[in-house]
Amino acid sequence: MRARRAQASPVTVLTPIVPGERDALESYLTGLSDAPGGSPLARVPGTHFARWVILPDLVTDPKQPAPDPLGSPHLLFTSNVDGSADDYLAAVADTLTAEAPEIWGRCVGCPRPATGAGLARYLRHNAIGTGLFFAAYPRATVQAVTAALDVHDRLVRLLVDTQPAGPAAIRAAFLKEFRP
Amino acid sequence: MTIATPRIRRTPPVPDLADIQGGILRAYGNDYSRTTYLFVNVDETRAGLRWLGRLVDDVTSARPWTAGKPATTLNVALTYDGLRALGLSAELLATFSDEFRAGMAARAAQLGDVGTSAPEYWDTPARAHVILIVNALSEDDLTGRLADLRADLGRYEGLSLMHEEHASLLPGVREHFGFADGFAQPAVEGVTDEKAPGGGVRDKDGWRGLALGEFVLGYPDESGRDSDGQDLPSAPAGPLGRNSTYGVWRKLEQDVALFRETLRTSAAAFPGGDEEKLAAKIVGRWRNGTPIVLSPDGPAADFRGNDPGANDFLYHDVDADGRRCPLGAHIRRSNPRDSIGFGELLSFRHRMLRRGVPYGPPLPPEATGPDGQQRGLIFVCYVASISRQFESVQVQWLEDGNVFGLGHDKDFLIRGPADGSGKMTVPGEPPFFLGPQPTFVTTRGGQYLFVPGITGLGAVAAGTAG
Amino acid sequence: MTVSEPGTAVGTATGTGAGNIDGQAIAITVFSTVKWWGKHWLPLLFTTLRLIPPLTRDLRKLSFIHFARWTLIRELPANGDTAPRTRLRYPHLFFESNFNDGWEEYIDAFSYVLTRGMSLFWASSYGFPGALPTGPFKDYIHRNELEAAHYYSAYPEATATMVRKALALAPAVADFAERAVRLSPAEFEGAWSAFLTDAQDLL
Ligand code: HEM
Repeated sequence: MRARRAQASPVTVLTPIVPGERDALESYLTGLSDAPGGSPLARVPGTHFARWVILPDLVTDPKQPAPDPLGSPHLLFTSNVDGSADDYLAAVADTLTAEAPEIWGRCVGCPRPATGAGLARYLRHNAIGTGLFFAAYPRATVQAVTAALDVHDRLVRLLVDTQPAGPAAIRAAFLKEFRP
Repeated sequence: MTIATPRIRRTPPVPDLADIQGGILRAYGNDYSRTTYLFVNVDETRAGLRWLGRLVDDVTSARPWTAGKPATTLNVALTYDGLRALGLSAELLATFSDEFRAGMAARAAQLGDVGTSAPEYWDTPARAHVILIVNALSEDDLTGRLADLRADLGRYEGLSLMHEEHASLLPGVREHFGFADGFAQPAVEGVTDEKAPGGGVRDKDGWRGLALGEFVLGYPDESGRDSDGQDLPSAPAGPLGRNSTYGVWRKLEQDVALFRETLRTSAAAFPGGDEEKLAAKIVGRWRNGTPIVLSPDGPAADFRGNDPGANDFLYHDVDADGRRCPLGAHIRRSNPRDSIGFGELLSFRHRMLRRGVPYGPPLPPEATGPDGQQRGLIFVCYVASISRQFESVQVQWLEDGNVFGLGHDKDFLIRGPADGSGKMTVPGEPPFFLGPQPTFVTTRGGQYLFVPGITGLGAVAAGTAG
Repeated sequence: MTVSEPGTAVGTATGTGAGNIDGQAIAITVFSTVKWWGKHWLPLLFTTLRLIPPLTRDLRKLSFIHFARWTLIRELPANGDTAPRTRLRYPHLFFESNFNDGWEEYIDAFSYVLTRGMSLFWASSYGFPGALPTGPFKDYIHRNELEAAHYYSAYPEATATMVRKALALAPAVADFAERAVRLSPAEFEGAWSAFLTDAQDLL
């Protein structure tokens, strides 16, 4: 919960969807996981986990005295990122040049074209601060995480493969794999 | 860490033993050396109802026997397709749990029943309606009872006997790999309280049995235990929601020759070449059942799994790092007790009453390779929630190791990933790595079952269940 | 309920709609309406937890959460005349988590282990039934949960525990590699064994 000093930070952007655009936006977003290159978020550097959620409205609990309607569906974008939220949103705007117009281009107040500095400004304007952020490994970048996972997998494979071999063979195999 | 002690002192509900089917809360016992499962399909609803109607009176309940053991017992379990074939209304059918309605074959991908374990290779019917469970003291008793049941079935047009699965205990109540099996069971409050130490859960007053509703529907479970019967777990509507339970039936073929061979070759690199110790590390018990966490250097000669206190052990304080009993050992995975941390809080809602029986002849000890015979375990368990109790154990604990800090390691006793990359870490100085992981166990059939109370079964047969 | 029927998943990520799953990772997105006093209570709670790390020790120890956040939304940014509104009648609590293993197991752990914590977070939310018993708490979360239209993890096959272990292992391997270069084969044997003994929890 070291939101201040941590390297990882939370990003939350909530934007109203242009009336009538909700279905098109939703089907575009749900189609993204089948996109040939995988999720476009893989191209935005520093993204650990991210999501787009259509928020049809705020919750109205049966116990709450009066409803609190949003007036229109909203789009929630959240991400857990390396570095600052502002830098990240700039990277989103610079990277998702094909996708952003299909996404935030369907939101109220978004500049056209929905790319570059204009988009970054729009996203920052609609960002919402975080109350409490929990990160299990706040100082590890995406790159560091994937590299470490790779070391782990290679070492385990080596252990299973070489266990029956003598120390000389293990040493050779280890150094071949991990020589500094 | 213990679970919260209730504010109100309450007496545990009394199970209606005359209405709950037998063989669930307590096993019939090892004198019943034979078990047969008859798969019956109901092609014609009315025939099915008449047949069941006559069968109801013969169904063995959980009421204690006063006049000695019957030569055979009879129990009736139904699948979702079976309930439909017997004419239950759509509204009532909708009140059964999602996973039961989907059926085991539909959950194959999640359960790890893929590759050679996939439903298309099963040798028991993937769709079944009614499963009769017959236990018998002897082969003769079994033969006689089965003949009667077959003859009875033959009297109805519109019923078909699809499959018979014969299982029988092996000498010493071992499973085919050679380990004593079936004795570590959860303690049920008001039923098997004597098993509470190690088999129940701890609250501030010490060990107690698990709420009856964890295993039988119509009674409070651990979530509603303190609500004084106000808050009952989800169950089918009407008479089927009381004294009933869900069941899991799995035919698990065991490759005994491969298991022995793997032990032999792997032990060559294991300290001391100790094959028996390595086997015990995989299971978490020595072959006679002695838990290795209590007895790391060898089995206790006088260990009896059914003795009171035989299962009274925990892992965390004595063996957090698994140097005695590996974190990945079968019994430490399938019932981690306090191993995940936070006492039993993360494991006590995932217990099951196991009632499995082996099938097929034992592989002779002197065999040097496969003998072409099929053998394995008919795994059966009873639970109030298939998803929370059986599936969660199968999926999160056996098919994956993350909860235990073991990454994607699967239970080494059962099967490895399709790409042959699995391994098991046996902690030690230095640790030992078993791998690559073979597939010792292949799924050959499976059903999710519903075992009604006897009143409920009568209502189904009378067409009044709803 | 706005989350599709479970049952599409393969692997340990179970119990939630397909949109909430990427590999082993599960997304949870929950909104709730907050009573008036929550706008004072929640910021105080957040600050306290941020300043006193031991208070979140159990959350860390549960070890199946990669990232989570709680946010109190009190107003919405203005987006010109066509935007519906900016002022809200009530504050709203937004919770998101990125975790692994099953949805049911996750909420169970929240109820049983973090009972008090969960009550503190949701105490000011309308309709919160308490963290225990688990049944009503799960229903409450289900009711207020939204399914993601798209969910992404950069390392979908890794769980939070695996990541933390790998991050500890990688420098140990690098360090041992430095040493191994200089060791004779005879010295290597003992050093290797000691290395594995030390690192076994991370494998
Ligand atoms: C052919 C496959 C299997 C074999 C050979 C096998 C063998 C064993 C053995 C030898 C024991 C120790 C004896 C005992 O505790 O009664 C045991 C315990 C157990 N097994 Fe299995 N098992 C198999 C499959 C499964 C499956 C699929 C599950 C669950 C999904 C499971 C759940 C359990 C449980 C819950 C225990 C009790 C652990 C305890 O309470 O300490 N087993 N098994």
